[in-house]
Amino acid sequence: MITLQTTFQTLGTAVIVSPVILLAILGLSGLFNRALSEGSISRLTQAAVLFTLLPAIVILFLMLATGIRYVPVELGNWVSIPEQDFHFSLKFAFDRLSIPFAILSCVLCGVVAEFTRRYLHREEGYARFFLFYAVFFCGMVWSSLASTIETLFVGWEMVGLSSALLVAYFHERVNPVRNGQRVWSVYRLSDAAFLTAAITMHHLTGEGDFGGLMSSGVWPEGVAAIEPGQALLVGSLLLIAAAGKSGLFPFSGWLPRAMEGPTPSSAIFYGALSVHLGAYLLLRLSPIVAVSLPLQIMVLTLGIITAGCGAVMSRVQSDVKVSLAYASLTQVGIIVVEIGLGLYYLALIHIIGHACLRTMQLLRAPTIIRDYEDIENQIGTRLEHDEWAGARMLPGTIQRWCYRFGFDRGFMDIALDKYIVGPFVRTMHWCDRQEQRITDWISREQSRESEDIDLHPEEMGRAA
Amino acid sequence: MQDATLSGPTPADSPASSHPLAPGDRDLASIIEHATHYLPSQGPISIFVHHNTLHSFEDLPFEEAVLEGGRRYRCEPYLPEERYHHELARGRISIDDLRQVLMDDLDATADELIANFGTRYSLRLAMLQMTLHSAPDAELQWLLAETKLLKRFQSQVSLARRDQVISATRNWIIRGRDSGKLPPIVQTLLNENSGSKPATWNDDGWEAFTLNLLWRVCYDGIDKAALPSEPLRHNDSLNELMLQTCGEDIDAAVNEVLIRFCGSFLDQGFADWSLPDREQGFAKSFARLYMQRGSILPAWMRCLRLEMSSIANGEFSPLDSINESLAAMGVDTSDRIKVEDEITTTLLALRGWAGMIWQTETNAPHLPHPIPSGSLHEYLAIRLILQRHALADAGERHFGTRNIEEVRRRVDTELQRHTRRGVLPAFRRGPSTSERTYVLFQLAQSGGWTPEQLTSMSSQQWERVVNEVESFGSLERRRIFQLAYERHYATATLDALSIHSQRRREQVSLSVRRPAYLAIFCIDDREESFRRHLEEIDPECRTASAAGFFAVAMYYRGADHAHYRPLCPAIVTPQHYVREEPTFSTVNLSEKRAVRRRRIGWFTHQVHAHSRTLVGGWVTGVFGALATFPMVARILFPRLTSRLKNSMGTFVRTPSSELHLERIADEPGQEPDALGYSLDEMADIVVRILQDIGCVKDFPPIVVFFGHGSGSLNNPHESAYNCGACSGGRGGPNARAFAVMANDRRVRRLTLERGIEIPDDVRFIGAYHNTCNDDVEYYDLDLLPRTHRELFRRIERNVNETRARNAHERARRFESAPLDLTFSEALEHVEQRSEDLSQARPEYNHATNALVTVGRRDWTRGLFMDRRVFLTEYDPSVDDDQASVLTRILQAAIPVCAGINLEYYFSCVDVEGYGCGSKLPHNVASMLGVMTGAASDLRPGLSQQMVEIHEPMRILFVVETTPKNMDTIIDANPGIAKLVKGRWVQVALIDPSTSDILRYVNGRYEPYVAESSDLPEVESSADWYRGQRDHLGFATVTIDHDSSGD
Repeated sequence: MITLQTTFQTLGTAVIVSPVILLAILGLSGLFNRALSEGSISRLTQAAVLFTLLPAIVILFLMLATGIRYVPVELGNWVSIPEQDFHFSLKFAFDRLSIPFAILSCVLCGVVAEFTRRYLHREEGYARFFLFYAVFFCGMVWSSLASTIETLFVGWEMVGLSSALLVAYFHERVNPVRNGQRVWSVYRLSDAAFLTAAITMHHLTGEGDFGGLMSSGVWPEGVAAIEPGQALLVGSLLLIAAAGKSGLFPFSGWLPRAMEGPTPSSAIFYGALSVHLGAYLLLRLSPIVAVSLPLQIMVLTLGIITAGCGAVMSRVQSDVKVSLAYASLTQVGIIVVEIGLGLYYLALIHIIGHACLRTMQLLRAPTIIRDYEDIENQIGTRLEHDEWAGARMLPGTIQRWCYRFGFDRGFMDIALDKYIVGPFVRTMHWCDRQEQRITDWISREQSRESEDIDLHPEEMGRAA
Repeated sequence: MQDATLSGPTPADSPASSHPLAPGDRDLASIIEHATHYLPSQGPISIFVHHNTLHSFEDLPFEEAVLEGGRRYRCEPYLPEERYHHELARGRISIDDLRQVLMDDLDATADELIANFGTRYSLRLAMLQMTLHSAPDAELQWLLAETKLLKRFQSQVSLARRDQVISATRNWIIRGRDSGKLPPIVQTLLNENSGSKPATWNDDGWEAFTLNLLWRVCYDGIDKAALPSEPLRHNDSLNELMLQTCGEDIDAAVNEVLIRFCGSFLDQGFADWSLPDREQGFAKSFARLYMQRGSILPAWMRCLRLEMSSIANGEFSPLDSINESLAAMGVDTSDRIKVEDEITTTLLALRGWAGMIWQTETNAPHLPHPIPSGSLHEYLAIRLILQRHALADAGERHFGTRNIEEVRRRVDTELQRHTRRGVLPAFRRGPSTSERTYVLFQLAQSGGWTPEQLTSMSSQQWERVVNEVESFGSLERRRIFQLAYERHYATATLDALSIHSQRRREQVSLSVRRPAYLAIFCIDDREESFRRHLEEIDPECRTASAAGFFAVAMYYRGADHAHYRPLCPAIVTPQHYVREEPTFSTVNLSEKRAVRRRRIGWFTHQVHAHSRTLVGGWVTGVFGALATFPMVARILFPRLTSRLKNSMGTFVRTPSSELHLERIADEPGQEPDALGYSLDEMADIVVRILQDIGCVKDFPPIVVFFGHGSGSLNNPHESAYNCGACSGGRGGPNARAFAVMANDRRVRRLTLERGIEIPDDVRFIGAYHNTCNDDVEYYDLDLLPRTHRELFRRIERNVNETRARNAHERARRFESAPLDLTFSEALEHVEQRSEDLSQARPEYNHATNALVTVGRRDWTRGLFMDRRVFLTEYDPSVDDDQASVLTRILQAAIPVCAGINLEYYFSCVDVEGYGCGSKLPHNVASMLGVMTGAASDLRPGLSQQMVEIHEPMRILFVVETTPKNMDTIIDANPGIAKLVKGRWVQVALIDPSTSDILRYVNGRYEPYVAESSDLPEVESSADWYRGQRDHLGFATVTIDHDSSGD
């Protein structure tokens, strides 16, 4: 058994470390100004994906062959504060949930990287794209295999960071940067919830291991070792985290805005992996959900609302990418419902199938005109849209409201701007004015001449 | 094609609104009509037609139009100066070109002396050759304090010049110090450096001193000179002012709402759920949508609902509303200029969408979901209402008033406050003294002006110098650069043509023989290499060209097409309908396959549409893992996958088909009997094309017509890659139709009456060339007589070899194709490219186009022209005295080629402004166009990936005719006159019998004197281009006639 143990350890380490090596090479080469060629960047990425994917598949087969259902891999205890009862260890686990998800991540990352190799050819930001992509890949592998909440958080953060950076990939234009920041701020909110949940878990169990939380059995049979009340608290925080990450109601506003990056990044993030990460978190912590009925109801409700909103919003959009983004959201909503109902395997299959399909659809999105033409030619007539059956049953005024709801993307962005950002900004402006009044009074003259300084003097250089 | 020159937007002669127009309204309507000319004229992206981007400015000469258009659209008129310097450095512009162009440009004023710095010409030339950097005050402060600006000479100054200036200064100082005759400014600087004695300074010390002195002397001189400071620029647009003073982006807020709404309003069937009340027009559907109860509106729209409900429930007159809004926004409605300005600015704020509304409304009758006329007026009305509300809201927040006139006043006060301090970039005065000093300082360094010379200048002289330098600002320099850039290519071209045509003359005996076969292509620049290779492979063949619709202007519907599509230039409205139908014997089988096809289509459509819904999405999602296989296959093995797909396709394809080409009814139409052409019409078409290509006798046994198109994946602009003469369609059916017509004995009898005898043993074949994967397919081969089969096999062999060589030549431009590919590998490479989902550059389309030749192939045959030329066939000996054949050729060729060329020009010089930016984040919106990212204006124009290897220059026409004929044509065709006289295109005339070339310059024909007598000779095209990625010069390909027989 020793040899099997070491084999697992070696393979597992390979799975976890090769994305990190890729990230290190791409990052350091940029840092030391040694630009790599397009070819070597993409070859490195492919190699890293392969060295993650193959060991993962071998582990899967070994586990199937030996009947072992849980393979932990530890990479040391990095921080330990005994008096605070805190230790931070990098622990990963291969089980029936993490392996399929990790393999899915590898396959999609590999395919999309191959796609991007040609798609971004001759692009100035080629190296930058692949660097962020490596961050993302690393984040996906880590968060899918994590077996402690801290490790999951590390991966989760990497995914969030790379996601926001890739939305803002075309940083010379205003919209991508602005939308990237919007995505980032929602992510921060969900991170905050996640972190609070992690700390709470530590307080409850003394460690962040999922294993400790679920005293018995491996996924999906684990049973949480905490009280329903505690589960409700931790669970709702995690639900907020998952909702932010997956763009569930009421955070869906950022999802269409994330379609600013190059097509492949939109595909893999918002069609496939990133958007499912929230659902994956819920799956991972499904034992907690199972403990508390109110939590289960919350999960169900959230899923149903999201799926409904997503379906309405997707039908109304007139551009391909946003429509597909909302279509993804609809399915994520259904997946959340499945989790709420305890259909964990179905949810997992659904995630995998949906991710693959949606990636393909988004990658093909620019071909939509030709695809429609082909379909029309095959059918021999113009495509007829049958009015949506669901809408026809509703009375006229509600139908109109639904359209309006979908049209304005559920009013979520507007509400956010109007009821949260607006008052916040106004308060800050008020504070600012008070401050100015005070400084003016102290200095007995107009203070803050710095505000009058020309912000972008370089722009006039173009006119000369 | 008769009205080729009348391609301007049709005047809106019908009042767009259903209300009776008050006189004021009619005025307003005409103002709006006028403003629509500035909107992009690109229609739905699936029918992409290349247009001159600045079509509406064609009345102006090119140089003025680019500035005027640049101002209007905030775009660049020329390439950036660095790019020209780069081209200078790599030899695409030579110093000689700059000299010539500058000399011509300055003409008599070239030798004027500027103070004591030599002539205007030499000063300008110096300014062109150096990189003149300009920096605002803030940057200058930094440059002076933190860089070696005042310590080291610029790196572009030669060492000798540097030493010369330093030593001159040293001698002057040392001599002057002894005699005590130094000007005070030098003395001051010396005193500042009093810590050390000049005698002890080393070289670096003197360098720093010289530069310091130079700076101060310049500064002083400029400071004393009475220089005008530019008057304030005044911008009337309130939105602009709000952005400048309060940082409030009114347009952004309004655009966000309108982008989404226009998307839904114009949607051509993408969204499952279409906009309610769409048929009631833009304004009503917008109003109904936004008055909806129970919805959350952004803060600035909170007062909108009332206004919306009055629009929705009452009579709505868009023009009244526009008037009302203008008045409310403080625009003086009696002042036509102001109103015009405001309306144009408002329309252009979202010009892609506004343009698409206008195009859909006026110019796109075949869309599945047309929009009511008058939509643009309603759009404008709604936009102004929204702007009003956004302005009022911003006014309330910043100035506490919702009255827009009050807001305008407050903004003006604010503006004056800012202007006094000179902080707003758009409202500042002219360049400051330091900024001027910086420019002169750089010039002084590279010109080797010594401080001694400069101190002796009077303030008038300083004024003169500064004015002179400023009169040759960046825009002027770039204009000269552009001229030099064009001159470089034009000189090389004309030299090559003159030498090559002479060489051809010397071997003229060889081309008299009747050719083995004739191959006719489109004039498209992409076919140049194909023709050249075919001629190299089989020297006994002859090639010719005609606009790729081959005079068959038709609505065409293929056997497996859902609807008709125009296949003719966009300026022609076809009268005839043609269908491809299964041959009579295969009708049953074909129907079976059509059913299969329909089933597959239905299934794909269900999957496609329902994967985006709730339940359908669930089903497809759960089984979605199956999608992995096609996805992985498609991305990793594109070529294999497409082959597999193609072989599966045989089960659903129509087994064999024929064109329904002959009409029974009198008038053409869509009914079965009315499809097609009458025999007379067919004969006209055949005669016309044969005359155009100058082939009226001595026919070879087989004549092949090649239509062309292009198939690529992941490319919303696919249509732009197709045949331009088929308005973005595929020209195969045109070639096929022409061949069928010309093969018909009855048609031949009619052509005989018109003077062209086509013998019975001459057969025509139609073919289709896919310029992306270089595939060629032939039509109706079963009808070829047995006697012709052998010759056909030979043609087929040659064409197959040509395909590979052509692919090989194309592959050299693709950075992802290794340079050492063999012919067949290159063919595989381009096949892969066309099927690759991830390929952003399936082919380079018309990129690098720069030349059109109109004349016999004789004098260009065998000349390597690097796929940059539209080869138009024209034989003057077939033409009549009025040059009517040339007229009809140029009527099509000049506007079409100029349109393509100028669209490339503008998309290339400003790819974000005129072009559609990078392709990577494109998002197909409403099935009509592309947006960048999640939401943006619609982006007409060409993408960065399409133009990246393009050299933006005005196209050069080299026509084989006499000045008299050319003048007649220019005078008789205002469309051509505008382009030629306005210098939108360049024209030269050639006489191949003497190789004399005349250039058209400002209405006159000037003899062209060849600059070189040297044109490389190579054995084959491949020898010339092998191993090269970049643009290549001309070369004669000497075809070895002995080794040709195979």
